[in-house]
Amino acid sequence: MPLGSVLFAFAVGAIICAVTGANPIDAYSGLICGGFGIACTQGENPALQVSNTIVFLTPLITTGVAVALPFRAGLFNIGAEGQLLAGSVACTAIGVKFGNLPSPILLPMVLLGGMAAGALWAGIAGVLKATVGAHEVVTTIMLNYVAQWLVRFLIIGGPLQLGPGTSKSLPIGEGARLATILPADNSLIIFGLPASVFRVHTGLLIALAAAAAFAFLLWRTSFGYEIRAVGQSQKAARYAGVSVRRTIILTMLIAGAFSGLAGAVQIAGVDHNLTDKYFSDTTGFDAIAVALLGLGSAVGIVLASLLFGALHSGGAIMQSDAGISSNLVLVLQALILFSIAANFVGAIRRGLPFGRKATPDLPPELPPAAGLMSDATAPPPESS
Amino acid sequence: MGHKRLRFLGVVAAAMVFALACGGTTGGGTPTKTYKIGLVTDVGGLNDKSFNHLADVGLEKAKTDFKIQGDVKESKSGDEYVPNLTDFATKGYDLVIGVGFLMQEAVGTVSGQFPNVHFAIIDGAGTDAKGNDLKHSNVVSLFFKEQDAGAMVGVIAGWMEKNGKAKKNKHVIGAVGGVSIPPVNHYIAGYKWAAKMEDSSIDVKVGYSNNFTDPAKCKGVAQSQINAGADILFQVAGGCGLGVLQAAGQASVYSIGVDADQKDADPSVIASALKKVDVATYTAIKNIVNNQFTSGALTFSIANEGAGYAVDNLDLPAELKAELDKIQGQIKAGTLIPPADIP
Amino acid sequence: MSGIGDILHLLFTANLWQATLAAAVLLLLPALGGVISERSGVVNIAMEGMMLTGAFFAVVADLAWHNPWLATGVAIVAGGLMALIHAVVSIQFRADQIVSGIAINIFAAGLTVFLVNRIYGLQDVGHVGPTEGLPYIDVHGLDQIPFIGQVFFQQNVVVYVALILLVLIHVVLFRTRLGLRIRAVGEHPQAADTAGLNVFAIRYGAVIASGLLSGLSGAFLAIGISNTFVPNMTDGRGYIALAAMIFGKWTPFGAFIACLIFGLGQAIYDNNSIIHVSPYLLSMLPYVLTLIVLAGLVGRSTPPAADGLPYVPGSE
Repeated sequence: MPLGSVLFAFAVGAIICAVTGANPIDAYSGLICGGFGIACTQGENPALQVSNTIVFLTPLITTGVAVALPFRAGLFNIGAEGQLLAGSVACTAIGVKFGNLPSPILLPMVLLGGMAAGALWAGIAGVLKATVGAHEVVTTIMLNYVAQWLVRFLIIGGPLQLGPGTSKSLPIGEGARLATILPADNSLIIFGLPASVFRVHTGLLIALAAAAAFAFLLWRTSFGYEIRAVGQSQKAARYAGVSVRRTIILTMLIAGAFSGLAGAVQIAGVDHNLTDKYFSDTTGFDAIAVALLGLGSAVGIVLASLLFGALHSGGAIMQSDAGISSNLVLVLQALILFSIAANFVGAIRRGLPFGRKATPDLPPELPPAAGLMSDATAPPPESS
Repeated sequence: MGHKRLRFLGVVAAAMVFALACGGTTGGGTPTKTYKIGLVTDVGGLNDKSFNHLADVGLEKAKTDFKIQGDVKESKSGDEYVPNLTDFATKGYDLVIGVGFLMQEAVGTVSGQFPNVHFAIIDGAGTDAKGNDLKHSNVVSLFFKEQDAGAMVGVIAGWMEKNGKAKKNKHVIGAVGGVSIPPVNHYIAGYKWAAKMEDSSIDVKVGYSNNFTDPAKCKGVAQSQINAGADILFQVAGGCGLGVLQAAGQASVYSIGVDADQKDADPSVIASALKKVDVATYTAIKNIVNNQFTSGALTFSIANEGAGYAVDNLDLPAELKAELDKIQGQIKAGTLIPPADIP
Repeated sequence: MSGIGDILHLLFTANLWQATLAAAVLLLLPALGGVISERSGVVNIAMEGMMLTGAFFAVVADLAWHNPWLATGVAIVAGGLMALIHAVVSIQFRADQIVSGIAINIFAAGLTVFLVNRIYGLQDVGHVGPTEGLPYIDVHGLDQIPFIGQVFFQQNVVVYVALILLVLIHVVLFRTRLGLRIRAVGEHPQAADTAGLNVFAIRYGAVIASGLLSGLSGAFLAIGISNTFVPNMTDGRGYIALAAMIFGKWTPFGAFIACLIFGLGQAIYDNNSIIHVSPYLLSMLPYVLTLIVLAGLVGRSTPPAADGLPYVPGSE
């Protein structure tokens, strides 16, 4: 993970704090305490902070993978959020409808259902891209909006609504729920707190498995080779006998399945019902940053998720302890993105590249997303 | 495997974590009691020009009146409700206040985990996933009879339509809600009911912007109602609803504000329906400081001046004043009961 | 289903089209910015953030100086400065332009609320008085034409400006030497460079222009329509503008037509107190429509050849 970029971002963030009259040291010690449970001054429970960070990072890993995989094929999946919502809707619908089934049957059903729904959602963008060349950035943005309104429709007045005057669904059946790592028991005291406050659930293992599957798929299978070939150059891939259309559609389907899984795991592991909080969910957008920060590798994505999960968890502590708006976290996330994308650190090391003498190898080793707006935009002629 | 083994594991792990944390702060009472109050906003944030803001106003007032430490957490997304409430609870806050209907389930969950911490929730109860009130003994629900406040401004609107004091006198008025959820619909219910009571021929247009933050969206809905003949518009959409007031001002018709007194938002505002979230927050804090916490529901209505109305940019006719006083008296006495659901 | 009949009836009212045009212009300005930027070869999905920044600074400036024109100037400059960041990062440092754009959007969302918090504390952001906003102007005489008059000549001053800019940008892009240069840089930067054009300068200019236009749109939203700032008040308009631009095949008038479709969707939705269709399904309509149009009617959309590719002097 490009550590220098992260440090650079934090340095600029500190300047923004200082300029606006906030103490950057307070801000960052709040973030560190909130994110990792280290150096807390206001009596935060370290284990709880770590637990919160893990809960936040779990869906980031899976959606991060869902953005990173299409990157490798030269596709920009901005639709992870919509796919996640589709997955959570499917998980909820199945988990409510078949709520009485036992866990060994129902749990796989809701997770696979979520994956299928996510795959369907992304598949629309994939098919449109592969057949008529509709730009996936636009189609996935549109699909995000459709998914958001669909969720609202379903739980406010629609078929999944719990009852009149509510804005949430019925809870999914017991059998559809993922176990928490610690028992969800209010009377059992662990780490000095009721065990149920630690919400880390087995979905973390699913997320890690998803990251491993991503790495395996990309580097150990022939399809992974095809994805990378298409991402490098569609023309060359076509000469090598790769069906570009098939690769684009399959890549989007798999990516959607990952996002859908993230949504399903979120319902099955944390929320247990579809609520209005999904209106303001931003996991799928944070995933874009995670995928970039992780440089498209599985380990990188896990580490980047850890950082973003910690920032998410730390923002609230920073606000209550240091009195600094947790929106600073968004500013930091943006700065990290700028810094990685532009490789400021490398540039500074090289001497600023102003003027035209810049060396051609300056852009960082990003997944080949940059070229996507040109080569990958045209509908690939099928020649095989 | 049973709890015994888990408990053992828990103890070992706990020891490790505490060792790692270099023995973090281990409680310790302060000599003179400063009450610690934590406020968690919903996704609207503190600058929502609506109930989150008012809750904070109540907290600030309490800070000046009592010896308390008040801290605020803004929730940027819905998945922060539980962690934010939990954080205050673990730090031994005396009262943790959740602002808004959207936080019901989170308050239900966290209050069950921390039976020794007091919780207050505005516009809701601590519920389970099915929406049932868990009735935890450490939770006080701060409910509002928004329909009382809605009814009072509905009286104003209906009376003005009936007596030809509105701008167009087509007997059409409007209400623009944010999202169709109970706290919004209660207001509209009282408004529509009272307007019909005053002027039986009135037509009340009810629309929703599906948004609480974008004034342009509410302005559009308001303009469509104005085009349909409405000349008094009631906004029930927080920050978004400011667009309703703008639309009314621009079309030279009247508007009615919500939650706080919105007299200054636009000259078209003739009245505001008040939901005194600040009073509720302040009351909850006061009860803690005075050791008078009681669980269950505190309902703020016209009867206890937790809801009401303000007359803004309007010279109130004496007849209307008399009518308002009469209706207010009847609602207070319980002989008139505004409905909670839109009739 | 009386819903369909209600909508049909609405389509024949001037009110609906007046609202449509106003909603479309909010999208048109950033969409035009996107057209200019992408024609020069720089992908720009940062209009959302630039617009939000413009909206915020418009309100701050108007509250301070009580002058909407000055405030609009400040908003335009603020949008331009955000664009400058995008330009430096993506042209100078050759960062991935989509990533930079996303970063701008996140940055703006965080920074505006952070600053609201630091400037106004926990207090309310104030209201801009009715005489201190950007005015609505009825064009004398023309506003009396039946139907057309209300739709086109009873609008906010920004609407007129935007329509003039629409024509102007179309003419500049396709009828002038400057436009030719911008497009050349977007299609064949190497050839343009060889021909003596300053690729960097032209791209910088184009990206900054997109920020200026988005900032103007933000000012329209904040001190023309809303007269206050509410966090995240742009509500995704920059992204819709992006879609409109692509939908319109990177042409000003194409983008305008797409903006009108989205504007119409919003205007129809605004009538939900009269038409009785699920408001959520109604809200979904413009997006589904876009997907259908992209799938069937428009289909292949080809951006400028070098769109999204950082220009490295001397390469290829």
